[in-house]
Amino acid sequence: MIRIDPVPWKAMLAHATETYPNECCGAMLGVTDGDQKTVREALRLDNAFAGAQAARYELRPEDLLAADSAARARGMDLIGIYHSHPDCDAYFSKTDLENSCPWYSFVVLSVQKREFHHANSWLPNFDRTEAAREELQY
Amino acid sequence: MPKILIPTPLRQFTAKENAVTVPGGTVGEALDALTGRFPDLRKQIFTDEGKLRSFINVYLNDEDIRYLGKAATPAAEGDTISLVPSIAGGATLAETVAPALSKDAAPALSNEEILRYSRHLIIPEVGMEGQQKLKAAKVLLVGAGGLGAPLGLYLAAAGVGRIGLVDFDVVDFTNLQRQVIHSTKDVGRKKLDSAAEKMLAINPHISIDRHEVALTSENALEILKDYDIVVDGTDNFPTRYLVNDACVLLGKPNVYGSIFRFEGQATVFAYQGGPCYRCLYPEPPPPGLVPSCAEGGVLGILPGTIGLIQATETVKLILGIGEPLVGRLLLYDALGMRFRELKLRKNPECPVCGAHPTITRLIDYHQFCGVPRQEAAPAQEAKVNDGEIDVTELKQKLDRGDQFVLLDVREPHEYKIASIPGAKLIPLGEFSKHVGEFDKDADIVIHCKSGGRSARACGILRQAGFAHVRNVVGGITAWSDKVDPSVPKY
Repeated sequence: MIRIDPVPWKAMLAHATETYPNECCGAMLGVTDGDQKTVREALRLDNAFAGAQAARYELRPEDLLAADSAARARGMDLIGIYHSHPDCDAYFSKTDLENSCPWYSFVVLSVQKREFHHANSWLPNFDRTEAAREELQY
Repeated sequence: MPKILIPTPLRQFTAKENAVTVPGGTVGEALDALTGRFPDLRKQIFTDEGKLRSFINVYLNDEDIRYLGKAATPAAEGDTISLVPSIAGGATLAETVAPALSKDAAPALSNEEILRYSRHLIIPEVGMEGQQKLKAAKVLLVGAGGLGAPLGLYLAAAGVGRIGLVDFDVVDFTNLQRQVIHSTKDVGRKKLDSAAEKMLAINPHISIDRHEVALTSENALEILKDYDIVVDGTDNFPTRYLVNDACVLLGKPNVYGSIFRFEGQATVFAYQGGPCYRCLYPEPPPPGLVPSCAEGGVLGILPGTIGLIQATETVKLILGIGEPLVGRLLLYDALGMRFRELKLRKNPECPVCGAHPTITRLIDYHQFCGVPRQEAAPAQEAKVNDGEIDVTELKQKLDRGDQFVLLDVREPHEYKIASIPGAKLIPLGEFSKHVGEFDKDADIVIHCKSGGRSARACGILRQAGFAHVRNVVGGITAWSDKVDPSVPKY
């Protein structure tokens, strides 16, 4: 189960709608207690995908490294990645899956016509062949 | 004693420690020491073959070790090693290629269309939804020649709703051996008109955009931007690089094919983070090294095979089914009747699609490839420059009985088709060996089929210090046009 606190949740929605019609992406920092994850802070990261960003995002590893350091510095951990799907559902696409990593929760925000529509969180398996839906609270 | 930071989910394998200090003089040794101490961690980081799992980057402090000394990068006391995943993603296929395809925007199919596409509609992977995707799709074919012919015919038949064609050529007799979209009666007609007529005859439910231009750096982005998929059916390097770069800049998939004699290649470039043409070939070959089909010939059937592989990939991308030919170069050998596959990787330093691109706008591709601009005007209109000779002047020279050497640098099998009386045959490939046979002050005239190979032979002689070397403009083709029509053109 992943729970996103109101402040980071609002920040993620604002990021997704501001970036529309392109995809946004960012890191979620927080704490883990067993299977219970709590996101305390959302960190905007650059979409570094070189082509059209309406249906693609890419994170720079350096940015992710910086996000991880930021988390550690504040006594938190990097626990997830979020990104938006403009004008389509918050499913975990083949592209998402193949370019994911089994270590984190992946929150997908569906933004339709510049407004937040719905969201899902996904947990890719070890071989990144499937992703299970994780209960998401916000 | 470097310190390794452990990502949260891996701490279950490190007794909950978030950082582990290990002995080791290099990054590789440090990671071995870590996974030696926590064996369950090994499989999380390394594959069974002992390689890092594909999504993991290793950083020493704030630098990727790939750009340092890889596993041999020294790691000492005070250094921090981090495991950083590569993460990317995005909405899939269908959304990427045909973004307008939401439920209510899907174009309806008439009863006539439903009947026409019946054999598609009864395949579950296509069905009504897939056929509507095809109808909503916009595909640009660059070139209405050998590859464009099967592509145009089959994509029209399959019901791709809008097909753009880019071509400024007219049909000639030498096209008919392979460009099955054109008929004998079309010789002399614009390829665009001839192709569009055949495609609409097959399927009147589609629309065709005719772009009667040479694709250039000035017009490419404007033409390509309205299409979902670009299919490269060109036969020259400047246009191939132009199409590639424009596709990367616009984020459009580039369905690539090329053919030569008995061999062909196909792949899909610039799609979903896959490699582009420049990842495969950062630089063009030296001008003239790779002959075109006009120079080297092509088995007439070959573009049928390769063009239909491109058509298949195009349809798969539109439907969002199957495994696209991304990151794989398919090689076809007609004589051995074999397909092989080469793995292609995205080059992180690719000048156009890499992490730090240096090409962010279209460049001058003729200059980049070192070849002269292909003009729409017929070759025989070309003006005669220094170091060149016109065929009529050559004829006068022969008739006067001037003392000079006439060389033909084509291949023996071409010589058998047609030749200019008095010309000595030395194929270009053997030319350098024969340079010593000629007098440096002699008057030398060189021809080939249309002037390309002979220009290179002239260059070889000039470099060797020959003073009077001239290239026959338009080659034996111009000779047939202007001097002796009994010499066949090929």
